[in-house]
Amino acid sequence: MTNPTVPAFGDRHGPRYGLRELSAIWLGKSAGTLLRILGREGTHVPGRIALWVCPTMLRTIERPTTVIVVTGTNGKTTTTNLLADAVDALGMNVVSNRAGSNLRDGIVAALITGVTLLGHCRREVAVLEMDERSALRVLPELAPDIVVCTNLTRDSIKRNAHPEYIAWILSSAMPTTTTLVLNSDDLITASLGSSSNRRVFFGVDPVGDEPREPSGSAVDASICPECDERLEWDFWRFNHIGRVHCPTCGFKSPKPDVHVGPVTSTTGLRSLALHSEKVDVHLKNESLVNVYNVAAVAATLEVLVVAPRTIGSVVESLTPPTSRFEDETVGGVRLVRLLTKGLVGVAVSRAFEYIVSVPGRKIVLLAVDETTDRFDGVENTAWIYDADYEYLADPSISAIYVGGIRRHDQALRLAMAGVDSTRIVLVESETHGADLVPLDTVDVVFNLHSNHNAGVTGDAVQRTLRTRLTEMAS
Amino acid sequence: MTLTIEMLFPEIANLHGDNANIDFLERCLPDSRIVQTGLNKTPEFVAGKVDLVYLGPLTERGQIRAIARLAPHKSRIEELIQSGTHFLFTHNAMECLGSRIVNSEMNYDIPGLGIFDFSTDVRMFDRYTGKVMGTFDGLPQPIVGYKSQFSMVSGSPELPGFMTTTRGIGRNPTTHVEGVRVNNFLGTSLIGPVLLMNPHLAEWLMSSLDSTPKREPVLHDLAVAAYDARRREFQDDRTWSAFERVAE
Repeated sequence: MTNPTVPAFGDRHGPRYGLRELSAIWLGKSAGTLLRILGREGTHVPGRIALWVCPTMLRTIERPTTVIVVTGTNGKTTTTNLLADAVDALGMNVVSNRAGSNLRDGIVAALITGVTLLGHCRREVAVLEMDERSALRVLPELAPDIVVCTNLTRDSIKRNAHPEYIAWILSSAMPTTTTLVLNSDDLITASLGSSSNRRVFFGVDPVGDEPREPSGSAVDASICPECDERLEWDFWRFNHIGRVHCPTCGFKSPKPDVHVGPVTSTTGLRSLALHSEKVDVHLKNESLVNVYNVAAVAATLEVLVVAPRTIGSVVESLTPPTSRFEDETVGGVRLVRLLTKGLVGVAVSRAFEYIVSVPGRKIVLLAVDETTDRFDGVENTAWIYDADYEYLADPSISAIYVGGIRRHDQALRLAMAGVDSTRIVLVESETHGADLVPLDTVDVVFNLHSNHNAGVTGDAVQRTLRTRLTEMAS
Repeated sequence: MTLTIEMLFPEIANLHGDNANIDFLERCLPDSRIVQTGLNKTPEFVAGKVDLVYLGPLTERGQIRAIARLAPHKSRIEELIQSGTHFLFTHNAMECLGSRIVNSEMNYDIPGLGIFDFSTDVRMFDRYTGKVMGTFDGLPQPIVGYKSQFSMVSGSPELPGFMTTTRGIGRNPTTHVEGVRVNNFLGTSLIGPVLLMNPHLAEWLMSSLDSTPKREPVLHDLAVAAYDARRREFQDDRTWSAFERVAE
């Protein structure tokens, strides 16, 4: 790849360091080295130490020529990784917290890795993932050149309340000089910032059969921000993702500057429309979520003034991670493992939607409760009514095995969603369902677990199912 | 008897899964008529007979919108409360009927409808999440549920509560009195949804609405099983954190 000229977004004159700043850098670097020797990567500790020594470190550390922050409810880690890969592929020297914390400490830790012992920055671009709730503690001091927001949907009720709240935090913290790269198909994200911010919108074009009426439990942004009239959908995808217009006052979703078209049946390619040119691309992962992530990357590269054909080449080379997904076939039965973020109805809904989209006769083992939430406070189970369990009423799913402490709540939610009670099997243990599911009459078995129980439950269920399927095959 | 249940502003009052309260009533009362009244429509209760008026959780901007839409009908709402019409306002919906809502971080201090003598303080960086268990007059079983909120309500001691907490905080961390219950107006900050989490309360409400629920045995059994499991958990002292206690 050719190395494009990195535009200088702001005043990047090197800061004047005092002993305090240099001490913070040295101690941060030392901590990072020590942790690497101990085999621990990606921690926030070097940043925390540096901030303890020099609380203004985020403001004073010499930064790369261009600083990009990626945030949003879903896809920020993947988009950060893809964007860092893309920038790297373009030959730019990049620093990123891709393996580390996305809070203030983690961002400082990443920036410290990008400077020399004398504090001089040796990187051209920083691509930094930021937890959206950390915006007030990061953005005013960091003053990034670009903020990319993938989407803002409902998240943990306990931590994030509702997407309007997160949008308010982000807008309150946003420097007016920052260029915003925003999802035009998410009306809440599209509203970020102020009139002073330059905004570039990305989107994914509609395909013909997308619904024009929303369904599901969690549809935000239903009313016109100008006149309160109920919005009409040009197309609807999930939650409040789609494009809208107001039948009364004419308000509508912003037109995307960079947008990805549907797959063309003749070529198998998608069109990637940029400001000045349209290029055809082949994506390695065609899932809608990945297409949105790629659109965000392409829009950001365009802000970096990368040539359209180069952008096309780069996005074709990107390989999204698949760590939250395992798919194997044992003895003719597909065994699919999905890490499903409990407490977050939107994430759970997407997993359920995926299950229904897979052809064949299916069985689901469901253990998605974040019961560990009880140990650092309160486990609030209201989220299960924010998730679309209605997908699981699909007749292709012959049984749903619900395990664990919250099995009764889960079973009630399934029944409320219209799942026939004869298809709901309650199992006290989170893992025992794997011993009970009938495997001889199904095509696909889904193992759904959450973050906290990925090892204890997800691994154990996967092992049991794999062993049983292997025995059946032999 | 066909009941009319009016959901106010469902396009904005739909957070935290609480509208499942109405889904549950609809399942139990299949003959009932559910009316969804949008923001730009006149509520049916203004001119017609409504048996239960429901308002669910709102965003902060949503609260302001709801107050603006309900303000012209303040006297009608007062009249209906006095005459015994049922209301169920969950989470922060109840706050619309107090005297004021103050939100320093978002920089507003607005009057509510002023129907009840309480005010609301909203703190956007001090979100409270906790469990609640308490007594509801007329029910032998305790109410269980969750709070997850930015706001705390300070009300007159004479204003009757929805429940009296035996564990967990009430309208704020200094009182066991939670929510508001005046005649058949039920206002609670609990989310969950409260009727699904408390099937005995749902049955009480349907009975109070003078209606015989068409109980779905499976649904009822599952709801009671979930309730019993949660009640057992909430009765265990070890599940309660220090911040979930009322400052005596």
